Order: sequence, then structure tokens, then C-alpha cells
Amino acid sequence: MTTLLFVLALLWPLAVAALTLAARLSPRPEKAPGVASDLSLRFSRVFRPFSWLWVSASWPALLLAVSGEARWQWEGFMLGGLWELTPLTRPWLLFTALLWTLAAVHAKGYFKGDLTADFKDETLPERSASAEKRRGTFVLALFWPLAFAGNALLILAQDIASFYFGFALMTFAAYPLVVQAATQEAWRGGRVYLILAVMGEAFILAGLLWAAGAAETLTLSGVREGIASADAGIWMALLLFVGFGVKAGVVGLHVWLPLAHPVAPAPASAVLSGAMIKAGLLGWINVLPLGDVSTQGGLVALGQGILAVGLIAAFAAALYGVWQRHPKAVLAYSSISQMGMLTALVGVGLVTPEVWSLLWPAVALFAAHHALAKGALFLGTSISEHSPRWPVPLLWALLALPGLSLTGALAAGMVSKWSFKSALYEAEHALLIKLLTFAAIGTAALMSVALWRQWQRRQVGGSDGYQQGGWLLALAAALTAPLWLPLPQASPVPPLKEWWGLVWPLLAGVFMVACAVALLHRRRGRLPPAGDAWWLYAVAARALYRPLAQVGERLARMKQACVELALKWERRAMAAVQRCLFAEAWLRHHVGGLMMALALVLAALLMWEGGDFWPGR
Amino acid sequence: MNAAWLPLLALATSLVAAAVIFTLPERAWRLRTAINLAAAIAKIALVVLMVRRIADGIEDTLRFQVIGGVDFVLRGDALGIMFAGLSSLLWLCTTLYAIGYLGRSPNQKRFFGFFGLCVTSTFGIALADNLFTFLIFYELLTLSTYPLVVHKGTPDALNAGRIYLRYTVTAGVVLLLGVAMLYSLTGDHSFSSERGLAPYLDDHRGLLTLIFALLVGGLAVKAAMVPLHGWLPRAMVAPAPVSALLHAVAVVKAGAFGILRVIYDLYGIELSVALGVMTGLAVAASITILYGSLRAIAQTELKPRLAFSTISQVSYVVLGVSLFGPFGTIGALAHLLHQGLMKITLFFCAGSYAEELGIHRIDELDGAGRRMPLTSVAFTLGAFGMIGLPPTAGFITKWYLGIGAVEANMLWVVAVLVASSALNAVYFLPLIYRLWFRPAPTESGKAWPNEQRHGRLETSAWLLWPAVFTAAISLGAGLFAGLPYSPLEWATRVAVEEYLP
Repeated sequence: MTTLLFVLALLWPLAVAALTLAARLSPRPEKAPGVASDLSLRFSRVFRPFSWLWVSASWPALLLAVSGEARWQWEGFMLGGLWELTPLTRPWLLFTALLWTLAAVHAKGYFKGDLTADFKDETLPERSASAEKRRGTFVLALFWPLAFAGNALLILAQDIASFYFGFALMTFAAYPLVVQAATQEAWRGGRVYLILAVMGEAFILAGLLWAAGAAETLTLSGVREGIASADAGIWMALLLFVGFGVKAGVVGLHVWLPLAHPVAPAPASAVLSGAMIKAGLLGWINVLPLGDVSTQGGLVALGQGILAVGLIAAFAAALYGVWQRHPKAVLAYSSISQMGMLTALVGVGLVTPEVWSLLWPAVALFAAHHALAKGALFLGTSISEHSPRWPVPLLWALLALPGLSLTGALAAGMVSKWSFKSALYEAEHALLIKLLTFAAIGTAALMSVALWRQWQRRQVGGSDGYQQGGWLLALAAALTAPLWLPLPQASPVPPLKEWWGLVWPLLAGVFMVACAVALLHRRRGRLPPAGDAWWLYAVAARALYRPLAQVGERLARMKQACVELALKWERRAMAAVQRCLFAEAWLRHHVGGLMMALALVLAALLMWEGGDFWPGR
Repeated sequence: MNAAWLPLLALATSLVAAAVIFTLPERAWRLRTAINLAAAIAKIALVVLMVRRIADGIEDTLRFQVIGGVDFVLRGDALGIMFAGLSSLLWLCTTLYAIGYLGRSPNQKRFFGFFGLCVTSTFGIALADNLFTFLIFYELLTLSTYPLVVHKGTPDALNAGRIYLRYTVTAGVVLLLGVAMLYSLTGDHSFSSERGLAPYLDDHRGLLTLIFALLVGGLAVKAAMVPLHGWLPRAMVAPAPVSALLHAVAVVKAGAFGILRVIYDLYGIELSVALGVMTGLAVAASITILYGSLRAIAQTELKPRLAFSTISQVSYVVLGVSLFGPFGTIGALAHLLHQGLMKITLFFCAGSYAEELGIHRIDELDGAGRRMPLTSVAFTLGAFGMIGLPPTAGFITKWYLGIGAVEANMLWVVAVLVASSALNAVYFLPLIYRLWFRPAPTESGKAWPNEQRHGRLETSAWLLWPAVFTAAISLGAGLFAGLPYSPLEWATRVAVEEYLP
């Protein structure tokens, strides 16, 4: 039974993608009347993009996660497949599949008109642009289940090959999700996403090869042990940290997030920022020897570095993100900031391994809560742009709720904050706790700015029940995460006297934003662009390219000179051969005279040599 | 029981087919096609039979004396049958493709005749059991591919053929010199002998190194290692099926396979390491890998880009050999097959684009994915395999090569592999992007460069299905690498034999 669920969880999304494609290819009534039979008509209706069948791609995985821990092994798959639901991966799969499902429900409404729209009134360029967008929507529908399959596979995988396969499948299948709109900005966001993704894949491959080769293992647990015991473990761990860091948005590698998120449609942003970004975190947990008490000095130093990098991201992203104009860009920076906090917690797992057994359930809860809350926030951006005719205070309170929860002021956010704080108290990381509390101010500020930017872009009407339903369910799931997430022990509820410590950052953040808005809102000035360091990278790459191109040109000239030199030698040698041939021809021509001359010379020699040749002398 | 007729019969299928085709008149299209296909299928059946017998531990050997001390020996061993199997499988695919590609164009008799000869020589190279036999088929390969390269008869093609001959004939002379020196030193030396050349190490160290350099240097020309690769990009003027066969199995692979034979079966791994030639080989292979990738990025036409990609990828085989360890060996052997499957797919697709839409340049590929979806899916799979993304076959070999490099304590090789993956992504991902995400010229009112409608499907079925078939196999070889008789499993079997005699 569990085997069947495993197979379904991984293959059903692929089947859904295949059926979506098949339905598209089957003859359509408007194009070929008479050809399309009743049956094929029904087929293409059931399997059309964004049907319930399409939404169901993530349901077997959801069922698998609900049904309990399980394990399945098959030697024939790649380098030997091993899939397992552990105490860690079961909640992970649950929140991931849930978010994908809810985002898919939202997408049902979001893309409703896109595929059937009538473009009769438009001029040619407009029509081609909208045709391109329509195609983008279909391709998104096709790749959505594939990206989910990759995400589910990487969570289930306990062997390196299928983990890496799932990671790569998810990464590349998510590209159509980013570029759906087919605008200039979308292509740019997609390009940045791909460039960073390929770099990340390269680092991951290097790290995995090194670690797996040194430890002679094919499983992720073997990699963890290998890194913990190897002499060069710190370098392997660093490579893997950087590789997965691209996905997790580590500072410096985060540039794709604020460029890709605003251009992607809301449901795609939700899964990108909620589920896929967590794949980087899961990658770290899978390969870094977190909680291994035998870790050596080098790894502890790396852990401190990770801790620092995470905290920098948590603060810097907040400082930069509040200046963004687009609500989704603000939310992207908020993701970077939140992932920074999770990064810091991963660092703690290396620095003080003893505490990891207490910390990881908190990390899983944090990840789950952030995934669903961020999903609800991104879905909320499409709600605020097409808001239903609900009472304004109710609607905006609902839109603000996931943000409030993220700051830790109420519901699941509060429980999640408290559960890692209490774990950190055990390890006596007083400074870290203080810093994370300050980071919550940044979260509050980002959330206020995001809400304010949404308010500026608000429009009434246009959303339907699916959009609102998906969004509300995501919101509800986020707020109640500790209740349903299958963690080993129930998460602690903060005692009343700690409550103020969790709430004041919210007030401080909102207050700061309010002051800033009041002070600056008359000022006109340019806001810093989304994607911050990307533009520096672009300048640096261009500057680096020029000398490299010159070197290349010089090398090409050198090669040309070599070829010419060789040709010259060849010509000279050929000329010498030619001359020989010419000489031969000359000899042949004058063969009679030459023979005569030779005979004469010989005769003369003989005469000179001795007289007895001539008889009678 | 030794069945001497089996290798001979397997070799003869293509040889006889070639001979019959030469005697048929040019217009006997149906008969020629039937003979070609029958021979190709018969060959695959015989190879399957041999594989089963080798799996049971029987190595069929054909042996007769040519002159005193020099024997002609064909032997079906595990390593040879890998290459032989690849060549016969791809012969069938390429024949099907070529039938569609050439259509009713002239000079088909010549083409298919030499095609059969070319496959015969590849098969002979695979099963040759000593250097003498190897050399015969190796030179036969040079001569039988020349008419294929110049098939179009244009000045360009003739020029490319001349350069091809210059490179390969010179290399043949160097190889011959090495073989002669080795024979004068050791006499006839079977690839299957357990002895190796180790007894000569103490007295003839310098000579052995020189002979190694001559042999590998001669073979490296066909394997297109930098700086001896110049002929390969120029040979691109050949028709697509020829390029496909040249790049996937016939010529470049023959060179790489020869290097495998020299190191594993002639010198032996220990001796090669003792001579200290392995590191040099690894460096040469790494340079080739990076140089080929860099040059590929700079190409603006599809086929030259694929050609430079071949230069880069074939050296993976040499790199794996030079890593000295079971994992490197497995990676090298598996890549011999994997690269063949992936690269032939890419060339089939490139040929189909050119035939159906007239696409030669990379910027003309825009939107071709929707016009030719199956071809483009095959191309995409092949390209992902070249990058080494799981679950394609390319990932499996990259994995084994990387593990082998770590085990051999050569971490810089891992860096080379990773850099090569990234460079492959740099020159293949833009193609895939153009195929699928750019609008086709027909959408903005323009036309394809030269559109033909070859069939009811996206293109002629002859052109379409071979590409889809090889793409599916290259995907399956990665996805189900753990199953028996997969390339990886067979490569592991060979490697175990080499390392645990």
C-alpha cells in the first residue's frame, strides 16, 4: 500500500503533465469540426489545464505524508533509489504538498480567462503579445506538476542521485513558472534565475562528488557522516552550503529572488517562495552534519560563518526591502530575511551540535509556517489587486494576518518563534536570541511596507471563489500549523510573561515604518532597484568580459599566425619538392646529351687512368 | 565451446551487405534498403547472441595465421562487445535515418556501400584481439569514411575530405611506427594475455614510453584531442547521418576505444602508471574538455557547435581511463556508450532541422520546438544529457568520473568536470530556450529559412523516429542504470574483470 502511494506520489504529477499535453494535442472542435469525436471532446475537457484533475497532481503526495512514515527501495533506479519519510521529511512533504495544492486551487481562478480569451479586437502586435502570454500560461500549466514532482522527489529521496534529480527537475521546471508573462521583465527575471540556478547546480555537483567520493557512499546520510569525518570536510560543506544557498537565498546569491518574484504570477511566486526556497534549506539539513557532536574545529568555524551570513541576510534584506515599490519585491526581500534567520539556525546546528535535536523540530515548524504564510501573502497580492466586495477592514485584516503571524506576534508564528527561542535558551545563545528578536522588527517593517504597497495598488473586482478559497485556506493552514504538523513532540506555547518579548518588535517595526512614511512621503527620489547586487555583478561581468575577449582575440591571432607559419613552411617544402621534380624533368628531356656527356667523361677518366684500354697502344 | 564462426559472421553481415550493395544498380532503391535493414537487424541479433555468451563466460575467438608470428584474431570479449553493440545498434538507427535523409538523391550506392564498410571496420576494431588486426581495421575505417565525408562533392566537402585524410593518414603512419616498434620488441601480443608488458619495464623503459606516445598520439588524432582535433569541425560538411555516425561511434570513438585498448589490454594499468604517463594523459584530456567547450560557445552554427561539443565529450573517456581506478574506468566505459547515444540524437535532430526547416544557424532555431515538438524533445533530452543533468545517461558517467577523480586524489579533475558541466549549460541552454520559449518566425509573418513538408508528421518518419528512439534509450540508460544489461552494469562488469583478474 505504501509502495503504491510512493509510486503514485512521484508518478501521478508526471501523468497529469502528460495528460494535460495530450488534451492539448487532441483535435479541438473549433479547429476541426467533425474530426473531434464526443469522446475526445470529453477527454480534452477533463484534462484541460487548471481542471480539478490538474489540481490533483499533489494529492497522492499529500496522502502519503498524512499516512505516516514509510520507506521504499529500488536498486534499479539510477544509482540505487532509496525513498523514505522520516520524522523530518514527513512534515516537510506535508506542508510542501499542501502549499502546492492550495496554490493550484488559486491558480484555477487566477488563469481562468487566460487560455480561452478572445482577441478579435486587438491589433496585430497586441494579439501576438497576448498569444505569447497565453502560450506562457499553457506551458506553466504543463510544467507546474513537473516542478511539484521534483519538489516531492527531493523531499522523499534519501539517496544522492534521486535527491539531485529531484532538485534539478524542480529547478528547471520552475523556469516556465517564472517567465509566464512573456514580458521583457519576465525574460530578465527568468534569465537571472537560470544563471544563478546553473551556478548553484555546479557547486552542489562539486560538493556531492567530493563528499560522496571521499566517503564512498550513495546515500545522503553517508554524505553527512563523510563530511563530519573527512579532513577536508569544511570545504565540502562550504561548496554544498553555497550550492544550496542559491536556492535558499543566502546573501550575495539571493539576487534572483527579488527579480524573479515580482514578474512571476502570484501562484507561482507562492510556491517559489514558499516551497522551492525551502528545498535549499532541506538540502543543507540533508548534507551538512548538523547535530553531529563529533564535528571538528573547521566545521564549527564554518557554522559560525553561516550564522553570521544568516544574520546579515536577516537584517540587510529588511533594510533594503523596505524601499521597494512592488509589493512582491518587498515580499521577496522578506523571504530573504526569513531564510536568513533559518540560515542562522542551521549555523547553530554546526556550532553547538548538542542543541540540534531540540532545534530541528523548531526549524521544521518555522519552515512550514513561513512557507504557508508567505504563500498566503503572495496569493494575497492577487486578491488585493482584484479584491472581492467584502468589508474593507475585514479584507485588509485578513491580508495582514499572515504578516502579523510571521513577525511572531500571534498564532503559529508566535509558537514557532518561541519554540526555537526556547531551544536556543538551552544552548545559552543569549546574543543570538536578542539579534533574532531585533530581526523581527525588520520583518514587521517589511510586512507593513508590503501591505502599504498593496494598498496603493488595490483594485476592486475580478477575483473568483477559487482564488479566494485557495488564499483563505493557505492563511488558515499557516495560522494553525503547529496543530496539524506531525512533529515528534508538540511545540511549546510561550508562557504569558514572554509574550511581550514576542510582540514589541511588531509595534516597533510598524511605528518605524509609519514615521518614515510620514517624514518621507512628500519627498521625490529614486528608490533603489530590485535585485540590488545583481546590477553590480552585471557591471563586474561586463568589465571582466572585455579583457577576456581581448585575450581570446589575441589567442586567435596567435593561432592564425601559427597556421600561416606552418603553411609557409609547407609551401617552401613543396617548392623544394617541385624544384626536384623540375630537375628530373630537365634530366629526362636532355637524357641523350647527358648520356653522351657521361660517356665522354667516363672515357676521359679511363684514358687518364691508364693506357691499356686502347688496344694497340 | 568456442564458436569461431560467430564473430566472423557478425563481421560479415555488414561486409557482405556492402559488397552486394556495390554490385546492385543505383536505381534498385527498394532492394538496397531491404538488404541494409536486414543486415543491420541480423547484426544486432548476432551481437545479442554474443552478449549472452559472454555473460555466460564464453569468449568466441577466430584466429588464423597471416605470416609467421603475426596472427589475425577476432575475439568477442566484454569490452569489445560494448563497442560492437553500440556500433551495430547505431548502424540500424543511422541507416533508417539516412534512408529518409538522402531520399532519392544520387550516389546512394556509393554512400550505403561505404557506410557498410565503415561499420564493418568499426566492428573489427571492437573485436580485434591484437594490434595487427586492430591496425588493419583502423586504416580501413580511415579509407571507408573518406567517401562519406566528401559525399556531397562540393569544393567545401572535397577540401574537408583532404584535411581529414591529411590528419588521419599521418596519424596512421605514426601508429604504424609504434606498432612496428612494439612488434619488434615483444612479438605478437594478444589483448587478452594476462602477461602484460611488465617484463620489459626494467630494460626498455624509455622505449616503452616512446611506443606509448606513438600509439596514443596516433590514436588521439581520431579521438580529436587538442591540438589534433582540427579535422573534426571541418568534417561537418558531411551529410547529417555521416556526421552522426562519425561523432557517435565510428571515427572519434574508434580513437578513444583504441586508447582504452592500449592502456587496459596492451600495457596494463599498473604498467601505464609505472611509466608515469597517466597524469599527462589526464592533463591533455582536461585541456581538450575545456577547450572544446569554450570553442563551442563561440560557434554561431548548430553543427559546428555540436562538433566542438564532441571534442570535449569524447575526452571524458580518456579522462576516465587516466584516473586509474575502478570508478574512473566504469565512467569511461559507460561514457563510450552514453556519449554515443546522446550525440547521435543531437546530430539526428540537427539534420532534421536542416532538412525540414532549413535551419543551420543557431539564431534560426527560434520557436522550432512548436513546429517540430518530438524532434525538439529528443534534442532537449540529448542536450540535458550533455550537461550531465540527472536522470539522463550523462549524469551517470559524470558521477562515476567525479567519484573516480576523488578516489584517485585528483581533485582538480572534479573542478574540470564541474566547469565543463557549467560550460555545457552555457552553450546548450540557450538552444533549448530558443527552441521552446522564442516565438517562431511564422508568427510575425516571416517564414522558416527553407521549409519542406517531408511527411504527415512534423517531418519524415524516417528522420523522426531514430532520433526519438536514441533519445529514449539515452534517458533509459540513466534512469534505469541499476538494471542488468544497462550500459553502466556492463561497464562495471568489464571494470571488475580488469581490476580483479
